[in-house]
Amino acid sequence: MRHPPEGVLRRLLDEPAGVADSDRRHVAGCPQCLDELATIREDAALVGAALATEDGADVDVAAAWQRLSTRAPATAPRLSAPPRPGRSRAVLRRPVVAALAVAVVLAGAGTAAANDWLQIFRTERIAPVSLSAGDLVALPDLQAYGDVVVTGGGDPQAVPDAAAARAQTGIDVPEVTSLPRGVSGEPIYQVGDQVNATFTFSADRAAQAAAQAGETLPPPPPGLDGSRVRLVVGPGVAQTWSSSAGAPALVVGRAVAPTAYSSGVPFETVRDYLLSLPGLPDDVAAQLRTFTADGATLPLPVPADEVTTSSAQVDGVPATVLQTRDRTLAAVVWVDDGVVTAVAGSLDVDEVLSIARDLR
Amino acid sequence: MDLSRPGGAAAAAVLAAPGAVAGAAERRVGGKERVTVSGSVRGGVRADLDEIFRRDYQRVVAVAARVLGSRDQAEDVAQDVFLSFGRSSVPAGEARGWLSVAAAHTALNLLRSGRRRASREETAAAADDPVVSDVAEAVVTLEERSRVRAALARLPRKHAVALVLRHSGLSYADVAAALDLSPGSVGTTVRRAESALRKELNRHASSA
Repeated sequence: MRHPPEGVLRRLLDEPAGVADSDRRHVAGCPQCLDELATIREDAALVGAALATEDGADVDVAAAWQRLSTRAPATAPRLSAPPRPGRSRAVLRRPVVAALAVAVVLAGAGTAAANDWLQIFRTERIAPVSLSAGDLVALPDLQAYGDVVVTGGGDPQAVPDAAAARAQTGIDVPEVTSLPRGVSGEPIYQVGDQVNATFTFSADRAAQAAAQAGETLPPPPPGLDGSRVRLVVGPGVAQTWSSSAGAPALVVGRAVAPTAYSSGVPFETVRDYLLSLPGLPDDVAAQLRTFTADGATLPLPVPADEVTTSSAQVDGVPATVLQTRDRTLAAVVWVDDGVVTAVAGSLDVDEVLSIARDLR
Repeated sequence: MDLSRPGGAAAAAVLAAPGAVAGAAERRVGGKERVTVSGSVRGGVRADLDEIFRRDYQRVVAVAARVLGSRDQAEDVAQDVFLSFGRSSVPAGEARGWLSVAAAHTALNLLRSGRRRASREETAAAADDPVVSDVAEAVVTLEERSRVRAALARLPRKHAVALVLRHSGLSYADVAAALDLSPGSVGTTVRRAESALRKELNRHASSA
């Protein structure tokens, strides 16, 4: 009879009942297998000893629960948390999102006519802006400088299939032609409505925020108080394939890309003033300024200490590739004709690019 | 505006990923601070969080501690894992496997990022009182423990997670379900990981 593979011998150590009777009988009478089993047992014991720690019997569960309870409402990491854009205040309070909001405002170009909403920015490209985690915290929350009103949105809604998603959003759901290894099954389809966010600058509010931070607010230019910038994004669709443990293995999403409009003072005035606000790191401000030249590049703030970025092409369109430094997650994002598409997953860069290029 | 909106979910996920629970969404399960579009938990944390926390907290700490060798850091990891879990819609029946995998991934990410505080590890390791065979206990020195953990961070992720979960007491069936492996291949995966770590110990032992 053939010798059982080493995986079976390994299980024999832990769960003999999980090993077939015929294999157990063979091992008991086979000197070669018994030798191998002894080696495997020794390795397992050594590694077990090396990894052993206190058994944890004395952890203070009550204290830990208390700690969690104080963190849970506000600062939960988003590992498994779905983006919840409809909850505008919470969303805008998140540093990353606040940074993006600032960036989009700043990225606009062109002159806004008085009295009327004028398009000042339409996303045509995406480029990463490197930020350290510290910078993200330091970036000003727009709500400190005025009123932010978000309309539309709401939680993403699940829909049964791609056709329903298209019917609700008017967006063609990108079709993934071949799934990467390790990803299977049917995706979950979700749709989100268009979201409008209007930011009204308040000189008083900004002065208070600056004072609280121990800074002096630069004097706002005439006409800025009360002027508004409107951001529009969406609708969009997302399809998510989950692993058996419930975490997403692959996400493919597409949405109408952000567009910004302004009313009141010329946009450059708003932009330059926001750039001068205390809290915006100088190098980030300088980087953001460079994006305004063509008025169409959406800066994507990226925590540089955790994510690396690079460039690629997807069907002839420039794309931004993001990868966590531990190489566990990768994403590619690009904009084509006012539509932003993203492919992300617990995959490597080649895999997400391959999926992106094969989308139909 | 938030890219995390509609189509941007993916980008947001990745941006989020580095933050906290690095592991939970990756390779089939992990995602540092953030990847999931499990949107059924509305406006806060799931109702069964309290119960599951009390039931599984100790286990989650134990899994992370096995990777990190530090109780303090393991408790930090457990906090992040439960925060993520609280916002997820993972079915309660799969919670234990999900939490264990997320703890292993998150701890491995932390290990790999090298942000551990060495002194803490040493303190914790010195206080260890592992229940192992006398032979193994005598053979594995503190320095070797550090080496094994460094080697653990270099293993293929699935091998490392399978090893940690198995040594944390999960059954072969539980490990298989949590990692999307066939039960038959768990033994092979664990064995390969142990063999690789053992080689690491031998390599240093012979060069010392």
